Amino acid sequence: MSHIDGQTGKSGRGTAGFVASGTLAGSALLFVPIAIFSLVAWQTFGSAPQGTVTHFLIITIAVLGFSVFTGNTGVVSFGHAAFMGLAAHITGVLTMPVAQKGVFLPDLPPWLAGVEMNFLLAGLIALVIVTVIAFVIGIPIARLGGASASIATLGLLIIVYGVIVGARDYTRGSQALIGVPKTVDIPVALIFLGVAILLARIFRDSLPGLELRAMREDEPAARAIGVNVQGRRLLAWTVSAAIAALAGVLLAHFLGVYSPKEFYFQITFAILVMLIAGGMTSVSGAVVGAVLVTVLIDVLRGVEENINANWFSEPTVFGLTDIGLSLAILAVLFWRRDGLFGFWEIEELWGGWRRWFGLRAPSEVAPSQASRIDQGGALKIENVAKAFGGLRAVDGANLELRPGEIVGLIGPNGSGKTTLLGCISGALDLTAGKVVLDGTDISDLPAHRIARRRVGRTFQNIRLFAHLTVIENVKAALAASGTRLAPGAMDARARALLNELGIASYAPRRAGTLAYGLQRRLEIARALALEPRYLLLDEPAAGMNETESDELLGILGHLRESRGLGLLVVDHDLRLIMRLCDRVVVLNRGQVIAEGVPGEVQANPDVIEAYLGKRRAATRTTSAPPLGD
Amino acid sequence: MSRSNWLKTTAMTAALAGAVFASGTAAAENFKVGYAGGFTGYLAPYDQPSLKGVQLAIDEINAAGGIGGTMPIELIVKDTRSDTAQAAVVAQELVDDGVSVMIVSCDVDPAVASGVIAQAAEIPSVSSCASTPTLPAAVGPYMFSNYTADNLQATVLASYAREQGLENAYVLLSRDTPYTEKLPEYFAEVFAAMGGNVVAVGEFTIGQQDFSAEVTNIKGLDPQPDVIMTAAYEPDFPAFLKQLRAAGITAQVLGSDGIDSPTTFGLGDVAEGVVFSNAGFPSEGSPLAAYEAAYEAKYGEPNDTVFTATGYDAMLVIAAAVEAAGSTDGAAIRDAWDNLENVQVATGTMTYKGQNRVPVRVVALNQVSGGERVHVGDFTPDPSQIPAP
Repeated sequence: MSHIDGQTGKSGRGTAGFVASGTLAGSALLFVPIAIFSLVAWQTFGSAPQGTVTHFLIITIAVLGFSVFTGNTGVVSFGHAAFMGLAAHITGVLTMPVAQKGVFLPDLPPWLAGVEMNFLLAGLIALVIVTVIAFVIGIPIARLGGASASIATLGLLIIVYGVIVGARDYTRGSQALIGVPKTVDIPVALIFLGVAILLARIFRDSLPGLELRAMREDEPAARAIGVNVQGRRLLAWTVSAAIAALAGVLLAHFLGVYSPKEFYFQITFAILVMLIAGGMTSVSGAVVGAVLVTVLIDVLRGVEENINANWFSEPTVFGLTDIGLSLAILAVLFWRRDGLFGFWEIEELWGGWRRWFGLRAPSEVAPSQASRIDQGGALKIENVAKAFGGLRAVDGANLELRPGEIVGLIGPNGSGKTTLLGCISGALDLTAGKVVLDGTDISDLPAHRIARRRVGRTFQNIRLFAHLTVIENVKAALAASGTRLAPGAMDARARALLNELGIASYAPRRAGTLAYGLQRRLEIARALALEPRYLLLDEPAAGMNETESDELLGILGHLRESRGLGLLVVDHDLRLIMRLCDRVVVLNRGQVIAEGVPGEVQANPDVIEAYLGKRRAATRTTSAPPLGD
Repeated sequence: MSRSNWLKTTAMTAALAGAVFASGTAAAENFKVGYAGGFTGYLAPYDQPSLKGVQLAIDEINAAGGIGGTMPIELIVKDTRSDTAQAAVVAQELVDDGVSVMIVSCDVDPAVASGVIAQAAEIPSVSSCASTPTLPAAVGPYMFSNYTADNLQATVLASYAREQGLENAYVLLSRDTPYTEKLPEYFAEVFAAMGGNVVAVGEFTIGQQDFSAEVTNIKGLDPQPDVIMTAAYEPDFPAFLKQLRAAGITAQVLGSDGIDSPTTFGLGDVAEGVVFSNAGFPSEGSPLAAYEAAYEAKYGEPNDTVFTATGYDAMLVIAAAVEAAGSTDGAAIRDAWDNLENVQVATGTMTYKGQNRVPVRVVALNQVSGGERVHVGDFTPDPSQIPAP
């Protein structure tokens, strides 16, 4: 009985220890090989290749910064180099020796001119300042999605570049900052890379991360399971900006000399190339992409230099590095459209051990998800209307649904059934009327708030989080609904829900790879994760054959029995509706034209007319054969 | 694929693989010069021509037996891909390869990144065409400039304006790059020091296209400027010039080497009379004309940028410094370099002595006349007039 009632809102949610074993294993699988290589390089390499390794470690952190936002939200960011540049210039001005400041930054205010911090303190200050700035900038950006958000980040990059160039007294304008202490070597960069990998993985695997990835797959569906899209995006934006700022600080103290253009388009595209090659959507992809591109560049560079030294000393040939890199990236994208790692994390591919653990059914845990709901209250739709321009898709509909009741909503195509569901669930704004839940008007609440008030829904065209696993689909909903559980218990709860729908054995599969009927069931399981009092099902039997729809009938009936929830079922399968429902409501042209027990409705002349047209109806009323047979 | 093709491919692949793993085996007495340049990326338009000039100079020196007739030059070229971090890595590789002198990129960031590595190894380095005069001081005593410094060009332009009797100057600058910002500022400084009056300083953004605000501002000035100076280049310079002339302003316009391009000569009437500075004019019988001929003989195409000549100059200066030092020791070369006077190069002469490693060299002034380039004269300013960077 450990769900939190949706009405208590989001306070104190989702913070229970979320460092799962997969998170740690995945981080270690990425970090340990890099750490071993880097430490060997540190002990044995000359200082030139050591520079390459250090630079690689720092750029990998930057790629992780981009990835935490881009990978989890699906919005490609062009703007994170701005945070790197801001952080680099802040730490630069704080750490530059006082004597150097007199030469290069003579117009600094006195309180800054005398400051000469060590790089850890200065870096921390830069990190805090940039994170706060990112949070503020993120508030409007988080409202946007898709391409418009990407364009906004591009604008951010250009604006911040302009600000850094414009703040000449502090940054030397477009000229290079010179004399920033070069304190970052392999061990320093390696430690921070470890922190960044762990942070990125913890975030990805956390409940907010899961909600974000759900949103990345399908935003309306995520709202329908209660995900606060803007809030989660803002969180990802801020965390990713902090990681990017960390990379900026380290890069500053690695280069020692840099100007604003160092943190502009060139580095942005270099980082995006790594991200695209490795896989935009996973932490492993980000890290492996950085490794791949760095190794490729260095190998190609060696080839190019040897060709120039031994073959064509004149004319010297350049560009092999760029050409080779471009071809390699094209090849990766040709064979693996989503990058090397696609949507997977490294430990998920690593011998399938996690899958093996995952498949071990949690026999000892039988979570009490099937709590019966008290029978009071009702979901009332009062004179609801929804107009799209001049078309009134729903026109003053009234309907009441009580817990434990199954109501069928039928009507010809275009009669407004799906629109009505959208109005109830908050996906659509009402033009008139109101939706009242247990005596409270919920008409103006956004979709995710209505979901948290325990009104679940499924969609006419299936809206699963296709690239998340089956169990993650359910866990995302558990997380979004405010369920606070340890990772193990969360898994068990999700598995129990899958079990209830008979699809537990598919838990580790990608949702998008399931057969159609199974996807429908998963959608219901996901909706049940909200512990709904009311569930709105939009054509749950669409596309199912007779056996499948019979099984569905059994499952829905069982749900009503075991949970006592109220079901509003839209379907064209009249056989299913007539057998399943206590009451049937018929909608035509946005208005309720009939309501009653299935037998009554079936014989109603208005209904027959709406379905079959006037003349046919007239001939059929006399004999009154049952509809839907 | 036919059999012979297959054989060829195999042979090529094997040879390439061999090339990858083969280490450079050069004769011990060679003088090694490293070039860490941006041969791809945004610096390629500057570093690639510079490299061609460097290679031409090495060909000529080696044909005569090398530096001092005895020491052939071996050039090791590494691409920084115009990346600052890579510039430091590549410089370290050149140090590890045992170079005695290093040529570094045309832009300040990578030049400093490479320069500090060379400085630490006590190897003299020189930026092929960075024009920021503060560059050598920022790195240290082993770093030298080669290209015409911004303050040098500005001094020549300002002297010319004063000699022409121009009294009131308007200066247009952009803070987007050090070049477009500092060069006009140096001009204003020298112009005022020579008794001229800087009426106003305007600012623009690179790529802004619309200069109506600036032009209106100029029209409203009292006194009206009789000379307008800017370091703007394409696409800003043509846009500004057209709008300026369209507004009926006829003041003398002065530009810098950024507008030394075919575009300027193709502007027609609006460009008539514009005077701009650059690193040299190949007048008949001049060393630069001889250089141009040698360039065309080697590369089979006429030289199309002054950066090949300044790259050539840099290599001649290095050879002169090594010859004067009589040693390949870094400190000895550095000291000799710092005392070079009147080294004959393609564009004229170069003097380092007493200049804090920023050379005094010839600045040529050119005038646009009937769509052609007319040589106004070559100028070597009095060092005392050059403003401190």
